[in-house]
Amino acid sequence: MTSNIVKFVYKNKICEIEDPDPNETILNYVRTKLKKTGTKEGCAEGGCGACTIVLAELKKNNIDYKAINSCIAFLPSLEGKQLILVEDLVFEDKLHPVQKAMVNYHASQCGFCTPGFVMSLFAMYKNNSSYKEEIIKDSIQGNLCRCTGYRPIIDAAKSLNTESKFDHFSKNKNITLSLLKKINQRDIAIYNNNKKYFAPKSIKQLKNIIQKESNSKLISGGTDVSLIVTKEKKDLNSLIYMNSIDELNYLKEKNGYIEIGATTPLINLESFIKKFFPDFSSILRRYGSVQIRNVCTVAGNIGTASPIGDTLPLLLTLDTQVVINGKNKTQILPLNSFFLGYRKTKLKKGQFIQSIRIPLSKKNIFKAYKISKRIDDDISSVCASFNVEINNNIIKKIKIAYGGMSNIPKRAFNCEKILLNSYLSDKTIKKAKRLLEKDYKPITDTRASKEYRMQIAKNLLEKCFIEIRQKKLIRINF
Amino acid sequence: MNINSFIEQARPHESGSKHVSGYANYIDDIIEPEGTLYGAIGYSKKTRAIISKLDLREVWKSEGVVSVVTSKDIPGRNDVGPVYDGDPIFTKRPEYFGQPLFAVAATSAELARKAVLKAKITYKILKPIIDIKEALRKKLFVLKGRKIKRGNPLKKIVRAKNCIKKTFRLGSQEHFYLEGQIAFVIPQEDNDFKVYSSTQHPSETQQIIAKMLNQKNNNINVEVRRVGGGFGGKETQSFIFASICTLLSKKTKCPVKLRMDRDDDIIITGKRHDFYADYEIGFNNKGIIEGVKIKLLSRCGISPDLSGAINSRALLHIDNAYYISDLLVENYLCKTNTSSSTAFRGFGGNQGMMVIENIIDNVARYLKKDSAEIRKINFYQKNKKNITHYGMKIEDNVINEIFNKLIKSSNYKKRKKNIKKFNLKSKYLKKGIAITPVKFGISFTTTHLNQAGALVHVYYADGSVHVSTGAIEMGQGTYTKIAQIVANELGVNYNNVKVSSTRTDKIPNTSASAASSTTDLNGAAAVNAVNKIKQNLASFVKKKYNLKSDKAIYRNGNVNFKGKKFTFNSLVKEAYLNRVSLSSSGFYSTPKIHFNNKTFTGRPFLYFCYGAAVSEVLIDTLTGENKILRVDILHDHGRAINPAIEKGQIEGGFVQGAGWLTIEEVKWKSNGELLTHSPSTYKIPAVNDMPLKFNVKIYKNINKENVINKSKTTGEPPLMLGMSIFFAIKDAIASVGNYKIIPNLNAPATTESILLSINHIKRIYEK
Repeated sequence: MTSNIVKFVYKNKICEIEDPDPNETILNYVRTKLKKTGTKEGCAEGGCGACTIVLAELKKNNIDYKAINSCIAFLPSLEGKQLILVEDLVFEDKLHPVQKAMVNYHASQCGFCTPGFVMSLFAMYKNNSSYKEEIIKDSIQGNLCRCTGYRPIIDAAKSLNTESKFDHFSKNKNITLSLLKKINQRDIAIYNNNKKYFAPKSIKQLKNIIQKESNSKLISGGTDVSLIVTKEKKDLNSLIYMNSIDELNYLKEKNGYIEIGATTPLINLESFIKKFFPDFSSILRRYGSVQIRNVCTVAGNIGTASPIGDTLPLLLTLDTQVVINGKNKTQILPLNSFFLGYRKTKLKKGQFIQSIRIPLSKKNIFKAYKISKRIDDDISSVCASFNVEINNNIIKKIKIAYGGMSNIPKRAFNCEKILLNSYLSDKTIKKAKRLLEKDYKPITDTRASKEYRMQIAKNLLEKCFIEIRQKKLIRINF
Repeated sequence: MNINSFIEQARPHESGSKHVSGYANYIDDIIEPEGTLYGAIGYSKKTRAIISKLDLREVWKSEGVVSVVTSKDIPGRNDVGPVYDGDPIFTKRPEYFGQPLFAVAATSAELARKAVLKAKITYKILKPIIDIKEALRKKLFVLKGRKIKRGNPLKKIVRAKNCIKKTFRLGSQEHFYLEGQIAFVIPQEDNDFKVYSSTQHPSETQQIIAKMLNQKNNNINVEVRRVGGGFGGKETQSFIFASICTLLSKKTKCPVKLRMDRDDDIIITGKRHDFYADYEIGFNNKGIIEGVKIKLLSRCGISPDLSGAINSRALLHIDNAYYISDLLVENYLCKTNTSSSTAFRGFGGNQGMMVIENIIDNVARYLKKDSAEIRKINFYQKNKKNITHYGMKIEDNVINEIFNKLIKSSNYKKRKKNIKKFNLKSKYLKKGIAITPVKFGISFTTTHLNQAGALVHVYYADGSVHVSTGAIEMGQGTYTKIAQIVANELGVNYNNVKVSSTRTDKIPNTSASAASSTTDLNGAAAVNAVNKIKQNLASFVKKKYNLKSDKAIYRNGNVNFKGKKFTFNSLVKEAYLNRVSLSSSGFYSTPKIHFNNKTFTGRPFLYFCYGAAVSEVLIDTLTGENKILRVDILHDHGRAINPAIEKGQIEGGFVQGAGWLTIEEVKWKSNGELLTHSPSTYKIPAVNDMPLKFNVKIYKNINKENVINKSKTTGEPPLMLGMSIFFAIKDAIASVGNYKIIPNLNAPATTESILLSINHIKRIYEK
């Protein structure tokens, strides 16, 4: 059964919106329709965190609190969730412990970014039992403050360690749980003037809709696509939102590979993949803010095919396979030949990415590096990934890929060729570095010059082998 | 003992509880009257051109559009330039990419923004000038530069034992206030307008709108409750938005809100001046500077804006904390086809200081000495070497004390030795350390701006107090501090004092909240108003109760005259019943200061703020990445009114300064189009850019001048503490050449420019 009504929990009630404008952002809805103006717009592209809200979701019989950027989330994505705004943290005219700490530690100056920080820290407060500096910094790396320099905000967050973990959300937990369950999400189909929006609940439904509405834009997270509306001021007339499909939200290890469902948010992958490829996990921590990682997905990253998508060079060296579904049977394609050109892939109309598979090997050394102007929430100048197998100082297997060096994320085949089966020495590395010039012709843009890109590409190759030979990491940033 | 003194207390920000709960109203949060329209600005997509045709038919037809305005709709002055003309509201000859051409009002912000994209504009393209050196070659200036000279620098340089001749570049900086530019205008009767503007300067907003409309100033009432970050970016850059918004409101006769999209905001508005310096310096073997010759170029963009004052402040701070006996500085205010560069925390002072700091650093590297020692031997002294190059005697110098104390408390010397050891062992990762001083002059250098007004009411019914001043609350805590000052003066509870929004119909002729002097000026004006009320009360009490003296002590809610005691509440009630005024305006003008702009001499500043910072960094010589390991700051804020607020200013200023010199990079395409106009392309410091260890200490001092509570402002000076980061990075780079080669490092020290500088050293060193 499909429904044209979006239902969500707000203030212990189920709210319904009939045929909402699928291009309206949650931020706009909250500020102009709910008339709650505590949530601010700072940039309308998910880059400053002023618009941070928390969406609470059912997770088994528990509630998961997710900070997201409401400026780039479309209204129908509220379906089945609890909406929590900065105003809602105040209970019986008393500030929430997170809010009180921010006041007591002088953590607001101009105050415009403050609601966003409060919400990021609120999600941290609810999802963790203790708040170490690392968790705190991770939680607010997507919130920009131009006044304080962050120290008082960190101190405020640290002080929560001695605060009670029981707040009015804990008190109302059972009510919230029952309301969330009551919504019993359905397949959503919205028609608003000339705009359409579909949020199927199952793969089966997705297959149906994708055939019928083959000109629709697929979104899996949508943190990139939404900028067409908020920045280019264009309409997205037909959208298929994949993230309601629970069947596609999974992580598993089987038969020598790990499989990642298309709608699995990166934040889940980050912890899961750590034991297999620690560098992969580190790169994910710098992929974007928590607000972004809470919603964006690997499938979305692959589908967007951005030359600077940070997971892509990593997946390329790991021999990742893409599982495609559509009208016919599922197909398995190697990621290596998946990207055709700038933001172009082999995915045809009526097809979708169902999952990806990363083969596991015990002998390999996997390394990944991200170079950007800023540590947090920045787009790579160059992202590099190396998957190497060395036996008796002979390079037995080698896969190298870079992002930011070409119009697509690309393997360095010429460089790999010279390294394969050769003896690991300074001379070999020197030669391999030179061959990168044959593999890539980088460009100059806002983030870096072509010369710098080429030099760090070479230096990262060198760094990778220095680390392998010295058996230690030489890094400044995680 | 004064139990309930509210001064020198670390009180939370007066809006703290509202900030954290979302109930602090910014302009976009004000309840809109029905029928409110929303504006958007159409701007030039060419850098320099003549508009041969502006076809707006499709804009008019666009969904939701109610009205469109162009320069033809402006009855009065089509310019928002604060001192000089040059910043047209709508132009027909755009001089930078992003210059406004027209605006629309529509039924929603989204529809207005969609509509402006539908204009069909025909441009006749002209060649733009983007590079400041090219502007110099072509002699394109927004204002005439000046030449200041003391002694005989050229001769001194020639005769000096050692000489360095080099160039240095300093980048621009985007303000990136979190609340973007916004105005909201509600038309009133008599063609009056109520203007809500996110501005640091309501009075000038009022004047500019009145001139634009050809109306009187008393028709325009500008109100500002709070600004979501300014940093200089809303000192003049807010004017064009308030003006366009008022114009749209006048034309539609409706309330209009104009909220800028972040990208458009950054594209349209001016930023910090980037500087280029050519210098020659002569010094002896000890490292004492004997003569300096500097040519200073700055990017002013298309118009003068505040460039005159900013470049003057650069000249006034070219000495930082150093006595330079013989100097010659020539400056050039270059006109480029980029948005008009404007005020930004430091206001040119920081650029001047970076130039001399870089010179000193190079002197130390040339002589293979510790730069801390070279800095010390060049410092201004107390009884000699205490006259600046503009003839002001420095009477409050504490830089020697601060510097020595910080060297000790930060363990600078030992750490420097350890760093050298570390660098010998570590091939790829290198550490660096540096200590830099700050001396920053306080007062507007345009003397007449150093005035302020206030209005204080005491309500007899409950003794509560209402305060208005010309101060703009933009995060620096001025409302909190002024409330503390007034509570202290009246001896009443802090919670009984309310500082309300700043309005031009309450306080006229205000100066911008700028130059770090907002609380100094407005707090003093509030005290003056309080004193007048106290005088009324004293005359009344003295007469009625036949007292010998009218002196009284206001403490803990009581007022004690010699021979008669009152509670504050009972006194004001009694005074009211006896028809005594409980309301007064107040005024303040800074004493002592004067400056002759022609001779460039005088006493432009009432006092100086001092501080110093030691920074230690780690760099990766393969990638150029860097990390701030530890920062120690010792800063002088006199006897602070609110130590917590001052600490916030020090830390925040430091991080902003570090951002300016490291990751924040403003870039233009060669055709003049701005490349960095969003948080995805322009990076301000985020949480992991913070120093891993951050020790901020206060140097105990009192202000020698008669400033409230003997305090010193914080505001701008802490930004310059960030200089230490740049020189620590430079120190780490120098280690690559075993400290034998002076690194060529320009600001900002991005990962890319660090690697470039390392390449340069390796090329020489490995030869």
